[in-house]
Amino acid sequence: MAQQYEVFLGCAIPARFNNYESSMRAVAEALGIELLDFEGASCCGTVVLKSIDETSWLAMSGRNIALAESRGHDIVTPCNGCFGSLKDVYHILSESEDHRDVINKVLSTIGLEFKGVSRVRHFVEVLYDMRETIREKIVRRLDGLRIAFHPGCHLIRPSTVTGFDDPELPRKVDELLELTGAESIYWPLKLRCCGSPLLIASEDVARRILQEKMQSARDSGANCVVTNCPACHTQFDVQAIDLTGPDGEPLGLPALFVTQVLGLAMGLDPERLGLDLNRVSLDPIAEILGI
Amino acid sequence: MSDETWGQFKSFESAVLEAFDDKVTEEVSHLIGGQDLRACFQCTKCSAGCPVSDKVNVQVHELMRMLVLGLKEALQTDMVWLCTTCYTCQERCPQGIHITDIIFGLKNMAFRRGIAPPGYLAARKGLYETGRLYEPSDWEREELELDEVPEFDIGEVQKMFDQTGLMRLEEDE
Repeated sequence: MAQQYEVFLGCAIPARFNNYESSMRAVAEALGIELLDFEGASCCGTVVLKSIDETSWLAMSGRNIALAESRGHDIVTPCNGCFGSLKDVYHILSESEDHRDVINKVLSTIGLEFKGVSRVRHFVEVLYDMRETIREKIVRRLDGLRIAFHPGCHLIRPSTVTGFDDPELPRKVDELLELTGAESIYWPLKLRCCGSPLLIASEDVARRILQEKMQSARDSGANCVVTNCPACHTQFDVQAIDLTGPDGEPLGLPALFVTQVLGLAMGLDPERLGLDLNRVSLDPIAEILGI
Repeated sequence: MSDETWGQFKSFESAVLEAFDDKVTEEVSHLIGGQDLRACFQCTKCSAGCPVSDKVNVQVHELMRMLVLGLKEALQTDMVWLCTTCYTCQERCPQGIHITDIIFGLKNMAFRRGIAPPGYLAARKGLYETGRLYEPSDWEREELELDEVPEFDIGEVQKMFDQTGLMRLEEDE
């Protein structure tokens, strides 16, 4: 039976990384995953609103979940920020009767109720379940691609909330990427936060964290960075442009989304995968990617 | 809002701190995730894995100590707003303390007391007025032949925020 989800895009993807959405849709189509529009979705609130006022954040993400529930659908999102926020709210409202009562009282004024029946999934979770199908659809090997894969924090931590992969030694998305013939390399700072959430508080500290990450990826022999999150991608494909190390050496690397890597290996149209919109030049790996 | 900065290693050296303010520890222990706060035995595993340990004036294990000691100055440390929310400390804490969740609660407390980077004030306004943090880039969507982002009723979101009091969080001194 075909899988069906309402797709929660969040704010960062339509604002900055439409190529992530486009490549996700292309891959979903090739795999027979049906993505329905998420009518009425607002921002998830993410760690920003959670930092300002937890009750407002519970209401904001609670409303989004309740909308999908009212239509009897599960939720899938390609964004770690939205995934973390929706999962976290789902977890809190399911575990705590006190919080559920408060939020349902607020939701009742707009005709909604959080029940906790719809599932919230990250798009890479859905892909991982379909790895055997993906394996069969690989038509173009990406040998020579040495990926520094960055899982991002809110996909795997806190593990009691996200429930996806080993929080200290994640391998699931790496396994997907390696189906293409690419190598997901070991790099010491792989699990380190990208620093993106600090762009709002201190660009300077966010940049220092990114410098450490990029140095680690480069020292480990990566020729690209791959993510499954638009917030992390903001660091790797926007902030890393012109990023330099202590001696002025450039630190940026081509940055791709998981769905772009899989899409290329599945023989999907590079234009639909939005590779023209990647900001750090893909020239150093263009031959491997076949573009 | 304050003209505080974060990540400049602001010193607490000459400050006179009043310890054992039980109200502080009590308030924090009632935050989401705050229930096990007092179980911290200072193993420093949290700070060992923290991406900003070398970038703050007070590290995360020290912040935890300040909370147990009831020091309200905890809200003024770099660690509160420079926590990246990566959850590494919480994942690894041998006492199962929900450290990152506690720090979220501290951010809420600090925000209400007027201690927050200005970006958060702008974000609150944007979330209230538009229901989004960023607006879609239509030209990119057209180029990729993506449909318009589904619409939503901002009135519904504002109705909720009026009840949660999002725009009136600030406390009087």
